[in-house]
Amino acid sequence: MEETVGPSEMIVHLGPQHPMMPGPFRLNAKLRGETVVDSEVEIGWIHKGIEKILENKTYLQGITIVDRICYLEALTNEEAYVGCVEKLAGIEVPERAQYIRVIMEEFSRIQSHLLGMGEYASFVGFVSMFMYTIRDREDVLTLMDSVTGARVTHSFLRFGGVKDDLPEGFKDNVKYVFGNLRKAIDQYEELYSTDSIYKSRTVGVGVLTADVAKDIGVSGPPLRATGVAFDIRKDEPYLVYADLDFKVCTQKAGDVYARIQVRLDEMRESMYIIEQCLDQIPSGPLFPEGTPYGKRSPVMRIPAGEVFHRVEAPRGEMGFYMVSDGSDKPYRVKVRGPVYPTLQTLPPLLKGVSVADIVAIAGSMDTCTSEVDR
Amino acid sequence: MDEIEQTNVEQTTVQNVGYDDVPGMVLTDTNTISDIIKKTKIQDVLNWGRKNSLWFMVNAMGCCGVELLSTGMAHYDTDRFGIIPRNSPRHADVMIISGYVTKKYLPALKRIWDQMPAPKWVICYGDCAISGGPFYESYSTFQNVDEIFPVDVFIPGCPPRCEALIQGFVELQKKIEAKKDRGTDY
Amino acid sequence: MNAKSIIASLTSKFPEEVYDADIESDIRTVAKVKPDNVVDVCRYLKEDLSFGHLCCESAVDYPGRNEIEVVYIIGSYEHPVILTMKAILPRENPVIESVVPVYWNANWYERETYELFGVKYLNHPDLKPLVLPIEMLGEWPLRKDYQGFPNKTAKNLV
Repeated sequence: MEETVGPSEMIVHLGPQHPMMPGPFRLNAKLRGETVVDSEVEIGWIHKGIEKILENKTYLQGITIVDRICYLEALTNEEAYVGCVEKLAGIEVPERAQYIRVIMEEFSRIQSHLLGMGEYASFVGFVSMFMYTIRDREDVLTLMDSVTGARVTHSFLRFGGVKDDLPEGFKDNVKYVFGNLRKAIDQYEELYSTDSIYKSRTVGVGVLTADVAKDIGVSGPPLRATGVAFDIRKDEPYLVYADLDFKVCTQKAGDVYARIQVRLDEMRESMYIIEQCLDQIPSGPLFPEGTPYGKRSPVMRIPAGEVFHRVEAPRGEMGFYMVSDGSDKPYRVKVRGPVYPTLQTLPPLLKGVSVADIVAIAGSMDTCTSEVDR
Repeated sequence: MDEIEQTNVEQTTVQNVGYDDVPGMVLTDTNTISDIIKKTKIQDVLNWGRKNSLWFMVNAMGCCGVELLSTGMAHYDTDRFGIIPRNSPRHADVMIISGYVTKKYLPALKRIWDQMPAPKWVICYGDCAISGGPFYESYSTFQNVDEIFPVDVFIPGCPPRCEALIQGFVELQKKIEAKKDRGTDY
Repeated sequence: MNAKSIIASLTSKFPEEVYDADIESDIRTVAKVKPDNVVDVCRYLKEDLSFGHLCCESAVDYPGRNEIEVVYIIGSYEHPVILTMKAILPRENPVIESVVPVYWNANWYERETYELFGVKYLNHPDLKPLVLPIEMLGEWPLRKDYQGFPNKTAKNLV
């Protein structure tokens, strides 16, 4: 964006402290009257140098750090990181541990979408929806808490397995919570699709076409809302996703409304996946037998090599590029976050919209700035 | 019309004369009044009012930010303590530093702090704000936030649970009631 | 389209420019490219081999070999093959052509690599710091010989 302003133009700085939560970023919008002429996104307000820190921690210590890349998708971050190490070291994960990982990661997706959707509703002036979604999110978090012992940053995955088994009676608790959650999601959908104010603020606003989205490298719900069925769980199956029955939720419109609809549908699919897993889960060990890997794995020296492993996080494609030089610490870790390209769609999308729609469009991307900055 | 103009002129002349010249009038301003009030029982009443309306600014800076959002919502219902989330620093009494402060963010945070109307308080929420947390050795974070802002309550945890934040607010209320807080000069 | 045919097509199109091409598995391939030809190779990958999705772009510092490797990880929306492409630059003066004309989202990746590693990109639309404050430009914090890490200023440690 050019800093010079023409006659009857001005630049408005939104942020870094702004209502488009969570996470600070700054949007510099050049306005003519009430229309956005040009805009620019500034990031880096919470850049904490995770890549440098990971280079100076052992592999096991790194699990705690990658949790904090994005606090809403902690388990999928761990999956990407642990998957890298497992690929490099050639560790086989036992089937029970794989199922537990899938269950927990799908829970992570549900809670992330609930928060993202609720927040989004509050951006367009629908604050009571935020109250509803947080109410249901607390139930999901309590379930996750009962397995991992934490609500946000879990540190649950280990190389070759998971830290703990599912607790007693977990299946019944899940059944109870999902009964309520199914009803709640139907209720949200009804509220969204019947509220005329909400629809007039979202339908046809911020339309992202499939070609532009592909060109920018978008993944996750914003891409699937444009009709592209791109999902790492289907295209490059990891864990036991190849054995599970689920469909990739897509919408055609590519506008703000479609993005929220994709998230609603994905929550239903996640619940379906979790129920399948709980039915199919075999009994067995949590760590590969006859290996030193366990809850407290030893100081590991990973064979030299490099690997790129990617998983489907709630916001899209999460990938780790890891280079190992044979020591007990990674030589280089590059984190590829899903929101990093998604946030770059804002300047082209915001061109020509009115000021009131900035928050509606930027919020619908469900940005997690912590992961953009790292 | 003429009368109004005349009265205006009279007022300006009175101001030019100054209060010192008017017999029986004491010169005062709001600072003096508040200094006098601090020594009396009225301050207790004021503090009772202040402690029961601690509106906090939602500034989700890190992992703790997501717990901050949950705390403000219906499940934990902080409204019963008079604690309400606000998006604008102009509406807020409490700034919660909910994460790592980076070298880039520090000037902005100081500016947000300056925009808040007094009396105002700071809560350090989470290990990152207290001691750096997992990022204490990073090249880009700024350490020792408590040397810059007058922090009243530290809430440890990574991230602390929502109940811990509510307890932090209750501790802040106790401090205000006991006139031990750093937000107001006693 | 599978990994074998992709590598065969790439090496036959650019016999001189692309070297050390290898197939790691069905969905992972690696290749090295000469720095002067990065844009041409990327354009061919995008237009003819449907590699339309730049997963990420970064750099790795090797002080021992006195080299900086710029790494492009390129995927696709049509097929699951991922190509890890590397260009090797000298450590003193790392300069490479920008791929923004081909992959639009390389913009931020290149700005970040510039401020963290000091790799200069030619013909980049707006090469300025992205995540660090402007005062820290020139420190290149992700290089292995960076002196500012670990930062010892924290006082409240337990």
